[in-house]
Amino acid sequence: MERILYILFLSVILVGCTKEVDIEIPGFEEQLVIDGRIEPGLPPVILLTKSQEIFATSDINAFMNSFVTGATITVSNGTDVVVLDEICTGSLPPGVDSIAAQLLGIPVDSLTNYNICAYTTLNTDVWGEVGKTYDLTVDYDGVSYTAQTQIVQPTSLDAVFWKPEDGYVTQGFSWVTLSDPPNQFDAYYWEVRRLNGADSDPMFEETYSPVFDDEFFDGLSFDFWYENPFTGDSEYPDSVRWHYALGDTVVIRFSKLDRDVYEFFEKKHMQLQTEGNPFATPTNIPTNIKGGALGIWAGFSPSYDTLICLP
Amino acid sequence: MHFILLVFGLLAASWGISQENFTLSGYVTDGRDGETVIGAKVYIPSIRKGAITNNYGFYSLTVPQGEYTVEFRVTGLETETKDIILDKDIRLDVEVGSNLQEINEVIVSAKAEENVKSTQMGQMELDIDEIKTLPAFMGEVDIIKTVQLLPGVSSAAEGGQGFYVRGGGPDQNLVLLDEAVVYNASHLFGFFSVFNADAVKSVNLIKGGMPANFGGRMSSVLEVNMNEGNKKKFGLKGGLGAISSRLTLEGPINKGRGSFIASARRTYIDVIMKAAIPETSPFSGSSYYFYDFNLKANYKLGDRDKIFLSGYYGQDEFVFASVEDDFAVEMPWGNGIGALRWNHIFNSKLFMNVTATYSNYLFKFGSEQDQFKFEVRSGIADLGGKVDFTYFPNTLHKVKWGAHYTFHTFTPIGVSAESDTVVFDTGIAQQLFSHETAIYALDEFDLNENIRFNVGLRYSTFSHVGPFTRYEKGDISTPDTSYYFPKGELIQTYHGLEPRFSSRWMLKDRSSIKAGWTYNYQYVHLTSLSAVSLPTDIWYPTTSKAKPQKGWQASIGYFKNFRENMFESSLELYYKDMRNLIEYKEGALPGDNVNDNNDNLLTFGRGWSYGAELFIKKRYGKLTGWIGYTWSKTERKFDDLNKGEVFPAKYDRRHDLSVVLSYKLNERWVFSSAFIYATGNTLTLPSSWYVQDQDLLFNYGARNSTRMAPYHRLDISATWYSKEYKEKEDPETGETIQVKKKMRSNWAFSVYNVYNRANPYFLYVDSDGDFVSGNFDISIKQVTLFPIIPSVTWNFEF
Repeated sequence: MERILYILFLSVILVGCTKEVDIEIPGFEEQLVIDGRIEPGLPPVILLTKSQEIFATSDINAFMNSFVTGATITVSNGTDVVVLDEICTGSLPPGVDSIAAQLLGIPVDSLTNYNICAYTTLNTDVWGEVGKTYDLTVDYDGVSYTAQTQIVQPTSLDAVFWKPEDGYVTQGFSWVTLSDPPNQFDAYYWEVRRLNGADSDPMFEETYSPVFDDEFFDGLSFDFWYENPFTGDSEYPDSVRWHYALGDTVVIRFSKLDRDVYEFFEKKHMQLQTEGNPFATPTNIPTNIKGGALGIWAGFSPSYDTLICLP
Repeated sequence: MHFILLVFGLLAASWGISQENFTLSGYVTDGRDGETVIGAKVYIPSIRKGAITNNYGFYSLTVPQGEYTVEFRVTGLETETKDIILDKDIRLDVEVGSNLQEINEVIVSAKAEENVKSTQMGQMELDIDEIKTLPAFMGEVDIIKTVQLLPGVSSAAEGGQGFYVRGGGPDQNLVLLDEAVVYNASHLFGFFSVFNADAVKSVNLIKGGMPANFGGRMSSVLEVNMNEGNKKKFGLKGGLGAISSRLTLEGPINKGRGSFIASARRTYIDVIMKAAIPETSPFSGSSYYFYDFNLKANYKLGDRDKIFLSGYYGQDEFVFASVEDDFAVEMPWGNGIGALRWNHIFNSKLFMNVTATYSNYLFKFGSEQDQFKFEVRSGIADLGGKVDFTYFPNTLHKVKWGAHYTFHTFTPIGVSAESDTVVFDTGIAQQLFSHETAIYALDEFDLNENIRFNVGLRYSTFSHVGPFTRYEKGDISTPDTSYYFPKGELIQTYHGLEPRFSSRWMLKDRSSIKAGWTYNYQYVHLTSLSAVSLPTDIWYPTTSKAKPQKGWQASIGYFKNFRENMFESSLELYYKDMRNLIEYKEGALPGDNVNDNNDNLLTFGRGWSYGAELFIKKRYGKLTGWIGYTWSKTERKFDDLNKGEVFPAKYDRRHDLSVVLSYKLNERWVFSSAFIYATGNTLTLPSSWYVQDQDLLFNYGARNSTRMAPYHRLDISATWYSKEYKEKEDPETGETIQVKKKMRSNWAFSVYNVYNRANPYFLYVDSDGDFVSGNFDISIKQVTLFPIIPSVTWNFEF
C-alpha cells in the first residue's frame, strides 16, 4: 500500500506545479521525546529531548539545545531496579559513547563537540540479556512516563553471500539466506557497516526499508537481498549506486524486535516514505511509552555476520 | 411510529373513496426517436388533475367518468393534445413531438412548477442536453462535475470525482446506473466520470428527503438512466476530443418493437504520454488510458410487458515504470455492471418492475522488481434482485412498495508475493460475504388541494455470513488469536426501521413550503485514506466490529417560481446527524490483510452537518442557467481521533458558490460559463518535529486544523452547430425547399480555469538540506494540478 501511495504521489508531483506557501498550522504542544535502547551485554541508554514547533529553527544546534536534564529514570528487569545516571559528553564510558553516537548519528569522536547528556548506568544488573523484559520509568517535571520492552531470542542468518548484478562484474547486492522460526511473530531490523580499512564507515546505518516482519514467510527458508545504504545518494553514478563493490567487507547487524518496537519502526519508516503524500493518512508514529511522550524504548537482539564481497 | 401507522390507516381508508372513476394509462414516448420519456406530464386542464411518467415512461391517471382534453407535455417538444371519452379504463400510449418539429425555448417545460408542487425536497434533475453545452474539462462532458455545481454538493478536490452531499462522505451516495449500483464512478483517479454522456438519458439527484424506495446509503441518490436507443431509425454519433473519442450506434429492433444502443469511449492519453516522455526519461514506459462500453437493449413483449438489458464495462490501465530502478507497476481497475429489467402492467393502476443486477468493482496492483513479484487486489461484487410495484388508486394517491435483496462479496485486500522460486504464504484472499435485504412501502397523497404528504417506511437487514476468519491482535504478552466461521454460518445480523416523511404546503401565491424527515441505515462503507477518491479506497461491509452507519436528516424549504415559471428558486435548510461513521485509526495504513481483518484498523464516531442552500434557476429564454449558494458546517467526533475532540470534516466548507450561465445567441452558437468559489478544504499537517535515531520525525497536530486557500475558477465554452437543414430545389415544383442534413455536427470549444488560478490540490511539508550540517529547512509546499487548459471537441451525428 505504501508503494501504491508513493507512486500516486509521484505521478501527481510530476504533472502538477508546486510552490511554497505561508500557512498557519495550529495545535503545537511541546512533548517529551524518549529515545531509549537496550541490547545484550550493554547498558540501557536513554536520551531525552523535547519536540519543537514545526517552523522552529530545525538544525543540529536547535536539536542539541532541546536535551532534557534533571529527569529521574529507572530501569528494571523484573528483579533489579536501577536508577540511571545522567552522564554528559566527555564523561561517557567506553561502549556507552558509541551507543549514544549511534542514536545521535554523530561519529564517536565528534561527541565531545556537543554538550549532550544521556541517561545510563554502569550497574550491570540491568544491562541487556536475551529473553528478559525491561521496564522503563521516566519522571520529569511532575509527570511519570513508563514503557516496557523485551530482548527477544535472536535469529541468525543461515548464510551471507555477494553476487554481481546482471550486467556488472564488480558491483552487486548483499544476499542472505534466512530461516524464519515457525509459528511465532518475528520482526527484523537490518543495519550494515563496511569495514574497508581507512574507508570504513563510521557507524552502522540502516537500509532504506530496514524493518520487516514474517507475516508473509512464517517458518519459511529463502534468499533475499539488501542494497548498500552508503551509496544510495543520487551523487553516486548508477553503476555503483546501492551496490557493494567486489572486495568490500560488510558487517551485517541483523536484529530481532518485539512487536511494539517493530510497530514503532515500521510506522516511522512509513512516515519517512509517505511524508507529504496527500493520498496517505497523516502518520503519527505510535509509541510504547505511556504517559504522553513521543519516542521508543527499544530492546534490540542482534546477530552479526561478516560478508566479504567475493563471488 | 404510532403516527405513521395512523397515517397509513387513513390512507388505506381514503383509497376506497373513488366512485365512477376510470383510469387513463400508458406510455409517453418521444416522437423523434421513440424513446420513452421520464417525467412527462399528463394533464387534464378542465379538472386540474395530472400525473407524471415514471422512470419507464409509464403514467396512470384515475379521474371521474367524463369527456376530457388531455395534454401530454414533454420538455422541448410541442404539447400533444388528445380528446378522450373516459367511460372505461383506457390504455393510451402517446408519442409527443412526432411531427419532428422541435420547439424553441418559449415553450413551457413539462416540469414547470413540479419543483414547487411535488413533495420531493432536495431533488435536482439535470438536462443532459444542457450538460453537453457547459464547459467541459479537457473536452470531456462530465455528469458528475455538473452535479458538483449544484447547491449542497461539493467536490473532493480539484477535478475530483468523489462528491459530498450535505456533509456526508462519498460512500454515502447511492450511484445507480439503470438501477445497478456503481461503486466507483470515476476514471483517472477521479478526474473523469464513468458516465459517457452520449449514452445517458437522464440524471436525477436526491440529496434530502430520500423516498422509501431508495436505501442503503445515508446522504443521496444519483440516478443515471441510459438511453434506450432510437426506435425509428439507425443512427451513429460520436466525438473526437483532445484526449478521447466516442462512438455510439443505435437503432430499432424488429421494426421498433425494441431498440438498442451501444457506446464506446477510449482515451489516448497513453499515446500523448508516449510522445511526451522521451525514451531517455527515467519514467519512459509509463502510460495511462481508460475505456468504457455501454450497451442497452429493450424489447416490447406485448402491450403489458417490456424487457430491458443494460450493461457497462469500463477499465482504467495505469502503468508506472522506472527504468532506473528496473521497476514497473501495473494498476488496472474498473467496473462491470449489468441489469436485466422486466416491466409489467397488471392493469391500468398497477405497474411492476423486476430487476436483476450484477455489479463488480475490481482494483489490482502488480509490481515486479528483479526477482520479486507482488500483487494486491481489492474489490466488491454484488448480485441483486428487486421488485417494485407502483399503484395509482386515484389522483390523490401514488403508492409504491417492494422488496430488495443483494448478495455482497467483498475482497478488501488480497495479496500474492513471490521471490524467485519461493512463494510467500499470503493466505487465501480474504473475502467477506453478506446478505442485504429491504422491504418498503410509501404513499404520496394529497390531503387537500394544498397539502401533500409522502409517507414511507423501509425495513432493512444485513447479515454477515461465513466463511470468515476473525483475527484478534495480541500485544507484548498476549498472542494473536483467530476464530473460523464456516461457510454459511451467521456471524452477525443488523436490522432497522427507516421511516421517511416529507410534505408540501402550497401557499396562495403559488409558492410552497416543504418539510421532511428521513432516517437511513447504511451497511457498506468506503474506507478511505485520503481526501481524494482513489481506486485504492476499500469497500468494507458491516461486521461484528464495523457497525452500520445510521442517521437522520431534517430539512425545510421554501420554493417559489417567478415570471411564468421562467425563474425557479428555493431556499432549503437542513440538519443531518450521522452515527457509526468510519475512519482509519491514526497512523493506520491498510496492509496485506494477512492474519488480520481490515476492521481492526478502523475507528468509529459520529458526525453532523447543517446548512442553508439557495438556488435560483432561469429555465428558459436566450439566457439560462443557475446560481447555487451553500452555507454549511460539517463536523466529526471520534473517541480515538483528535484526542476525542470535535474536528471539522475534511470537506467542511463554509461557503460554496456556483454560477452557471448559458447563452443561446442563435441556432448556431451557444456560449456557456461556470464560476465556482469554495472555502478551502481542511487537512492535517505536522505541528511539531522531533528526532529519533538521527531521523527527523513529524508529529501531527489537531486533525483537519489547517485550511487551504479558497478554491475558485472560471470556465467558459462556445459550441458551434452546423446547419441542420440545407436548401434544395424541389424536382417537382422547382421551389427551393429545406431538407434536413444527413449529418449534423458541432464544435465545442472550452477553456478550463480561464484566469489560470493556482488552486491548491494539496499541501505538504517539504524538508531540505542536511540536519547535522546545519542547513536544514522546513517549508510548506502547495501543489496545483491544472492551469488554464483550452480544449476542442468535434461531435457528429448521423
